[in-house]
Amino acid sequence: MTTTHLTSDATTLSKDATTTAGDRTSSRNGTTARLRVMWYAVLCLLMLAGGIAFYFRMTEGLAVTNLTSTTPWGAWVAFYIFFVGLSAGAFLLSSLVYVFGMYQFERIGRAALLSAIVSMGVALAFIGIDLGRIDRSALPLVFFHWSSPLSWEVRFYIVYIVLLSAELAIAIRLHKGRSRSPIRAHRRLRILGTIGIPLAIFGVHGGTGTIFAVLKARGMWFGGLFPVIFVVSAMVSGTALLTVIHYVQRRGTGQRPDAGLMKGLATVLAGVLCVDLGLMFYEFVVPLLAFQAHDGEVIRVITLGPMWWSFWIIQLLVGMIIPVAVLLTPRLRARPGVVATAAALVVLGIVGVRFNIVVPPLIPGVLHGLPSGYYVPTLIEWVLSLGLIAGGAAAYSLFAEVQPIHDAEDRAEADAEAGAGAKAPEHTKEASA
Amino acid sequence: MGVGDESSASPQWGMVIDLAKCVGCDSCTVACKVENRTPPGVSYNVVLEEEVGTFPNVRHVNIPRPCMQCEEPPCVGVCPVSATYKREDGIVVIDADRCIGCRYCIAACPYGARSFDFGESYEDEMQGANAVTAPDYGKPRGVRGGFKAPIGTVRKCTFCAHRLERGEEPACVETCIGDARYFGDIADPQSLVSLLNASPRAFHLKEELGTRPRVTYLR
Repeated sequence: MTTTHLTSDATTLSKDATTTAGDRTSSRNGTTARLRVMWYAVLCLLMLAGGIAFYFRMTEGLAVTNLTSTTPWGAWVAFYIFFVGLSAGAFLLSSLVYVFGMYQFERIGRAALLSAIVSMGVALAFIGIDLGRIDRSALPLVFFHWSSPLSWEVRFYIVYIVLLSAELAIAIRLHKGRSRSPIRAHRRLRILGTIGIPLAIFGVHGGTGTIFAVLKARGMWFGGLFPVIFVVSAMVSGTALLTVIHYVQRRGTGQRPDAGLMKGLATVLAGVLCVDLGLMFYEFVVPLLAFQAHDGEVIRVITLGPMWWSFWIIQLLVGMIIPVAVLLTPRLRARPGVVATAAALVVLGIVGVRFNIVVPPLIPGVLHGLPSGYYVPTLIEWVLSLGLIAGGAAAYSLFAEVQPIHDAEDRAEADAEAGAGAKAPEHTKEASA
Repeated sequence: MGVGDESSASPQWGMVIDLAKCVGCDSCTVACKVENRTPPGVSYNVVLEEEVGTFPNVRHVNIPRPCMQCEEPPCVGVCPVSATYKREDGIVVIDADRCIGCRYCIAACPYGARSFDFGESYEDEMQGANAVTAPDYGKPRGVRGGFKAPIGTVRKCTFCAHRLERGEEPACVETCIGDARYFGDIADPQSLVSLLNASPRAFHLKEELGTRPRVTYLR
């Protein structure tokens, strides 16, 4: 373990240790074990249901969806950009630790990297099942088309996953104290993170926004602001997700969330949310004041169409206004439970944002006289989506079981384990031998 | 022989549709479906019907819409695997054996001229509907069904490229009851389509997008 790591954790760890009495630990372990079984049971059930939905998807093709040639993209594309955004946002949060040296966030550094990798995997799974020809999903790597943002994206995603995996491996080794030279490991983390920042911003998520921004055929997509909004909303969702993960992981294992960390995350989240709101204001006000018929039609679908509630209630009220109000109130921001709830609302709101990015521009017919579309996902689309999300959550949880993703338990438990972990130095010797 | 034949190796196919002659009978749509054996939900050609003005000053406008075969096709630019491309003769085609079915091109087309083949069939309504192969890719694909292309890929109008090869006009042009459609080589300045293209009545759909369609309308 490095010195910086120790010092940054020491204060928070001791605070936790004093509040968690030793005798309460045993009863907590009981609930923890039960919670854990329940968690995996729920995930297994969802994955099983998803598997059944996947069977229908494979045998009957995209006919199991409510997609049409008017509205060719739906829930799976929305979830694809949702998870790309989570990934880019989580990674950018990790760069606060590994690149900018903000060690107050160190505790979630590895969790951020792992959730970025898993989210990217889930995103690729979503876009995979959305392809008409799943069997040809490797073709974008074989055939390149320079003018297609999607063609660039596929390559960026892969470089990004490789880079993040390397970074996570180094971070885990460093945490286990197995790095021969912690200083060099820190430098490697900084270099990889530094390469990763433009990759995540321009390559991964800005690029995903570009996929839509180049489509002049549809309202509200075309324009230079779009990729920027993508990046900012990625920061929003990534920060919110990590806040929820930290809180749930701590509570679920009978520990107290790190109050200082939660407050720091709350501040970052409030900041990016405000920027996001500001960008959204311009996104709507510019085409409206320009009286762009093209964009106005889509804005009408978003705000007054049959799915108006997903914009006004989920995206705006639940996902932005309530969390901003909560996070900007100092008294509420100081309470981890409230912050985690606000963050969970933000994640939910971003799902609404993603659906409203993908679907409404595909609703009006592109020519007068062409039918306009109507789209709500089918049961199979929902169930398969839940299955994939559960798969991602399971992959994350299982990896965190075997590797130190979350900072170890309270001081008392850590001490108890110290005896059992006596073999650790031998491992280090073997590794270096 | 026109001058154009010397400057370009292959003819540059273009279409002119005279809206004053179109009665909105939808024969072109039917001829297209029969010729290209398109499944339910896929129609390379449609006739857009619009009522302009308010009573008593009303006008009914029919706009037949095949693929515009744009000079600058937005659909071609976004294809991640270069499965769709512009042929030497200017026709935008899709390689059904390469298309991954991502539908990016459908989202990119400003004219709604592309459709996804969801695998539906007329087999219930018509015996042996699956036995006939879509001819628009110029190769036999056997009985329709399963994961065989073109199911799961994007499909579009090819100006009946398979008919052009045989020296025939596109099915929609041949069938038009009012002779509202003209077809020919726009590289040849003496061709009928070139002469009509120069008409003051000529216009294109969504000219402001800069796609430069090869289908011209006469208003």
